[in-house]
Amino acid sequence: MRALDRVIDGLDIETYLVCSSEQEGKDLALRLGEELHLGEVDLMFQEFDGYGMRVRIRKYVHKPGDPYRWLDAFGGGREKGEGA
Amino acid sequence: MTPRTILCVPLDPVHDAGIKIIRNALARRGHKTVLLSPDLSMDAVVRRAAAEQFDDILVSRTLGYGVAELLGRFVDLLDAAGVRARSRVILGGKAITAELAAELGFDRGFDEHTPMEDVVAFIEGRQRESESSIRTRTKPDITVDYSYTVHDPVVEGYLDEIVDKLLRWSEGKSSAGIERMKLRRELLQLQGKKGTEDVERAYRALCDPVIVAAREAGTLPKGVRKVDLREADAVREGIRTRSAFRPVSIRHQRSKPLVFKFLGSGCPMMDLVHGKVCERWGVDGFLVINPSWEARYEGLLDGLLTHQQDGTITSFENVRWMREMLDPATLLTIRAHRGLNTPETVLLAGSAGAEMTKIDLVYGSLGAGTDPDRLAVDGIAAIRLAAEFGMPFDIPGNDELSGVPAWKTLAGLLINVHLGRKLNARPILKPLFCYGPHIVINGLMDQNFVDYNAAKIHALRSLVDSPIWPGEPIAFMTQTEDRVQSASASAYHAALASSLGVDAITVASTDEAYSRGPICLASRIDSIQAVREGGRFLGTASIAPSPAADKTTEDMTRMIRETLDHVRQAADLPAAIRDGLLGDSEDGAYPGTFGKGTVVGG
Repeated sequence: MRALDRVIDGLDIETYLVCSSEQEGKDLALRLGEELHLGEVDLMFQEFDGYGMRVRIRKYVHKPGDPYRWLDAFGGGREKGEGA
Repeated sequence: MTPRTILCVPLDPVHDAGIKIIRNALARRGHKTVLLSPDLSMDAVVRRAAAEQFDDILVSRTLGYGVAELLGRFVDLLDAAGVRARSRVILGGKAITAELAAELGFDRGFDEHTPMEDVVAFIEGRQRESESSIRTRTKPDITVDYSYTVHDPVVEGYLDEIVDKLLRWSEGKSSAGIERMKLRRELLQLQGKKGTEDVERAYRALCDPVIVAAREAGTLPKGVRKVDLREADAVREGIRTRSAFRPVSIRHQRSKPLVFKFLGSGCPMMDLVHGKVCERWGVDGFLVINPSWEARYEGLLDGLLTHQQDGTITSFENVRWMREMLDPATLLTIRAHRGLNTPETVLLAGSAGAEMTKIDLVYGSLGAGTDPDRLAVDGIAAIRLAAEFGMPFDIPGNDELSGVPAWKTLAGLLINVHLGRKLNARPILKPLFCYGPHIVINGLMDQNFVDYNAAKIHALRSLVDSPIWPGEPIAFMTQTEDRVQSASASAYHAALASSLGVDAITVASTDEAYSRGPICLASRIDSIQAVREGGRFLGTASIAPSPAADKTTEDMTRMIRETLDHVRQAADLPAAIRDGLLGDSEDGAYPGTFGKGTVVGG
């Protein structure tokens, strides 16, 4: 099991990106998700300050109602239907 | 307890604060302690340890490069001097782990987060508190200290008139929601025994097609599915076999306010795991929020159900599941006042063991979409049920978020409180700590965020003796998607709530303002941590409103009184709502239309 599978719901990345405009910062933030092999990410918060951009990026790993890959680890890896 | 003789050794070139704190705690318990200075050589420490009979030798040291070897050598020296055989040697400090301490030959290791009581308990040979897995908590009752006495006789007269008129208006009236509630009660009593099918058929006859399709053919609404056995087992097993590690308290030295969080991810499994983690972080209770579509349909679904959108489905099984697996002292509130299933929701919540519910006849009509007539009839039935179950109900003033001025919202809350009191229920006032549209447009909080919020509390207290629980959540509309800003806003508003001595608060998560995805657990912890830190900072001190708050309180109280005067002159409460007396289109409030024309009788 990958560590990513143990992320209960979402993974936030917060950093500061050097950029020249808000649009460039946004593009970089979204590219960051791809470069980190997270696929499509959400840009939750950005604030461009003239030098770069403070960003909060989120990758939802498990959304409510999904099959949760952490569930077996949480429940001690029990087999299907055991001890209902 | 026999006092022990303890040598306290700061085996560190500089730092000795931690061990001094421990030494003081042990001395207060009557133990004899000897504290060495931090600059002694290991040989000097060993000579001192050998010169006297010590029961325990406490060593403090921050772990760093080469320190493990040094500590190992220290134990060897104690051994060679014959000290190790007669004294327990205990290690504590930053980055120390129990495993490392054992590996180096110490009897016990404590990290810097270990509660003081745990160290003292170990020295005294008692069971550590944090090993007992769950903090011992008792279930609180927010309403117990209140009489609901209206302090102002004029206001009491207005409220009597409004509520008596409402109750007379509602006599003989019913709705599909009330009739379903009665049938649901029968279904719960029958528990699948003979006669269930007939009652179920009668129930379906009062439901919208979407609900009928689910109950009859198992065709669930889009995005809804049953939780399968394996999933339910895993969650149950995880909760059974795990326990809160070093549970913490949010409130520092105060007993109030209780801290609540929303749950309503859509998935009861996700809610429950979030809930268990939040319990560990000190949260006292949860408000379960249902999907918006559920409010629009006549009838409720059955079963342990998960949903891929916001809002957890109000089924008996979902509520019971959460109630059974949360700590018995944790309070669970189920939102009932949105939509067409208000009485049945209270019945399910009470039957499933939830402690509280949420009903506001005014906000439910003005901001939450339900027709005023329908919600008045259903809400009265729901409040009667809440009284029957002994469930307090909270009254959220979230119509203020539409733009309704605070005094109109607070007048609405007072009507609900008075109605609740007349029906022998236990209502809870829930004014907002928010930066609502009316406040923004009129610059009412330009000076600070303290005075206006404080004035709401002071105005309500001057009028009625009722529990107060600011929400919903506190700091609403002050928070952005920035994590630190959001957490700080929650913490400051919580500190204000503490200062005002309110009974409870609802705290957001640091992703509350982010509307394009579900709430994450880490974001919940962020805001709890911030509120906890605010509580620690404030302790028993208080935030003082500026003198301007007194004038605002006076104005607010006067305008609440005027609003109630206008409402009492209306034909009845639904008419007053439709006429905009508690918020009109100019304010951004519109009477709801769900269930329009569905009230029967009367």
